[in-house]
Amino acid sequence: MAQSTATAEQYNYDIVRKFTIMALVWGVLGMTTGLYIGSELAWPFLNFDIPQITFGRLRPVHTTLVIFGFGGSALFATSYYVVQRTCQARLFSDGLANFTFWGWQVSVGLAAISYTMGYTQAREYAEMVWPIDLLIAVTWVAYLVIYVMTLRKRSQPHIYVANWFFIAFILATALLHIFNNFAVPVSLFSLSSYSYHAGVQDAMTQWWYGHNAVGFFLTAAFLGMMYYFVPKQAGRPVYSYRLSIIHFWALIFLYMWVGAHHLHWTALPDWTSTLAATFSILLLMPSWGGMINGIMTLSGAWDKLRTDPIIRFMVVSLSFYGMSTFEGPLMALKSVNALSHYTDWTIGHVHSGALGWVAMISFGSMYHLVPRLWNTKMYSEKLIYLHFWLATIGIVLYISAMWVSGIGQGLMLRAYDDFGNLAYTFIETVSFMHQPLVIRALGGLFFVSGMIIMAFNSFMTIRQSRREKAELDAKLAEKLAQA
Amino acid sequence: MKHETIETNAGWLIVLTMIVISIGGLVEIVPLYFIDDTIETVQVDGKDTIRPYTPLELRGRDIYMREGCYLCHSQMIRPFRDEDMRYGHYSLAAESQYDHPFQWGSKRTGPDLARVGGKYSNAWHVQHLMNPRNVVPESIMPNYPWLMQPLEYKDVADRMRALRLVGVPYSKDTPEYEANVKQFGKEVADKLNIINAEANLIAEAQEGNFDGNRDDITEMDALVAYLQVLGTMVDFSKFEEGYFATFR
Amino acid sequence: MSALIEWISQMENTKPFVLVLFFVTFVGIILYIYTGKKRSKRLESYKNIPLEDDEHDHHKDTKDE
Repeated sequence: MAQSTATAEQYNYDIVRKFTIMALVWGVLGMTTGLYIGSELAWPFLNFDIPQITFGRLRPVHTTLVIFGFGGSALFATSYYVVQRTCQARLFSDGLANFTFWGWQVSVGLAAISYTMGYTQAREYAEMVWPIDLLIAVTWVAYLVIYVMTLRKRSQPHIYVANWFFIAFILATALLHIFNNFAVPVSLFSLSSYSYHAGVQDAMTQWWYGHNAVGFFLTAAFLGMMYYFVPKQAGRPVYSYRLSIIHFWALIFLYMWVGAHHLHWTALPDWTSTLAATFSILLLMPSWGGMINGIMTLSGAWDKLRTDPIIRFMVVSLSFYGMSTFEGPLMALKSVNALSHYTDWTIGHVHSGALGWVAMISFGSMYHLVPRLWNTKMYSEKLIYLHFWLATIGIVLYISAMWVSGIGQGLMLRAYDDFGNLAYTFIETVSFMHQPLVIRALGGLFFVSGMIIMAFNSFMTIRQSRREKAELDAKLAEKLAQA
Repeated sequence: MKHETIETNAGWLIVLTMIVISIGGLVEIVPLYFIDDTIETVQVDGKDTIRPYTPLELRGRDIYMREGCYLCHSQMIRPFRDEDMRYGHYSLAAESQYDHPFQWGSKRTGPDLARVGGKYSNAWHVQHLMNPRNVVPESIMPNYPWLMQPLEYKDVADRMRALRLVGVPYSKDTPEYEANVKQFGKEVADKLNIINAEANLIAEAQEGNFDGNRDDITEMDALVAYLQVLGTMVDFSKFEEGYFATFR
Repeated sequence: MSALIEWISQMENTKPFVLVLFFVTFVGIILYIYTGKKRSKRLESYKNIPLEDDEHDHHKDTKDE
């Protein structure tokens, strides 16, 4: 008892607990939505002629809930935890921290509801209508203030590198969010707005945003997570601190240039996409530098692979990080992109990063975090193993299916018959994709099941922690009564 | 300044990070506004042939966005032989210069729509949107029966005013109207006049009769009107071979 | 000064100039980080920060029991 009160005073764990719970909730909801829309593509009757659940309206619900709901809440939780532990200082302002919690959860919830009702900006990953954008902007500024003020309170002279990644993520996300969402509302009481930019400039701005949402939200920030939780779980310091410094500066510099590789061969001027392709290749170096740093940190702890399921999540996540940061530059080559663009290969690539890297490192970190936050042990280690296998098999099914579907469609669309006519109509490629889409849905089912098991396991852990605490309180009361 | 200072001072860390992350975006985005060749000049007899959307098309585009069509259909044909044979001439930057936001898309779960205008009849589009499998048995597109509901068009003038603020040449007074006559010709300039927005919308819906029912104005009218104009504003036979390549 | 600005604003001058500038900065950072025994030792010492906070907790754990 004395211990947990002491920790409660030293650190603000309450806010970390709240964000952790919401990460689990959004994870279950967002991934289930993903499974559903994936199934709609395999079996279109699932649209049921209900406007609110058609693919076009649910797809932004899926992306928003998993990126901003699950990923965002996991990042808030871990960044608030890491900054306190590495600065050995309590988080700045409980009130403001609670504001970021509610601001973020309300934004994500309202966004999801508004998409199903048809309110959208129709910009991928930035679909939120303008009032939600404003709420996000305010919440984000509060986040920055809390983070910087906590850093200033630290008792350590050095700022640990994980915090650099979190700071870069906060700053870049602010920059991207603000510039990409410039828009003029139709009227003060209308949820509709039109973007400030148009056509080619709008496309460039949107993909500068879109790719750096990947680069900073889904990469830099999760690298911050990696630089804290991997050494913690392995019980060894990071392999090379100097490598992590180079990793940081090179990564944040290079990422901002590569967005235009989403626009190869379009009406975007050639010089821009050539520049983006070049920087995409260069980006391989810091990405792999970071991956090697993580893997080498774990390399002295291979024996733990057999006994520690959390280490397994981390090894797999780093492997997928390496895999997808190799696949990315490959797809950014103009010749490869000519085939891969507009196909399921892109979808597969995103998911090898999002499921393989982002979700797996989050699962690992959260399994590390939950018992510490609630001062107990995980309810079931067996269920962690089960989750690990379901997730891993799910990812492998998912991305293999998407390779078949994407590369297959790409090849069919550019095939000619003996007379130089197109060999296949578009709809023939759609028929071809049915089987891979079914397998993809199956992969998704595996992954979602794992997520649900994790949520259950965490829920039981929290319940167990409450019971333990009650028992302890009862014992204490008994002792007091005897005395 | 020593690196030690950066590591130990949150302020320096923030400033340097800000500089480092700003460079890429500045170099790639800002010039797009200043390099003239970014957007092609598309004129026939001294008039722009690419024009902003009419009020009805605009509302159709709003519905296109509402239903998330851009998530499965691209509007950007790339300069490849197979795409040329399947969809037509590659898309010009000029063709989306009035698109706030752009709808190029990133995925072709269905075919590209950049030049779908005029390819199918209005009746085909209505059939297809009501139940795609009636006309394409293997299609995996959802049905959109609710598009037969009445179109909300009371705020169409507000919408045009908002677009005017971000640079689309809808006219709100005589000088602006005159300028449009000069740029697009009288017939088009009349449709871009915000004052007549509602009347123009109603007239176009009744005249075009896109949904096969002249009496009411439905969302189907607007969406089909929009689909039928996509990619039709440039008559490529009027331009010399290789003219558009000079802008690339 | 104005001649310099004129020179740098020409695209064919800007490109190699910026390339050299970025490359030199990059090499500078590498050299700074990997040279000097004392500096290397200092930088590498920071990697223990996440592990040090645990001792803090352990300390408390034992006191409780």
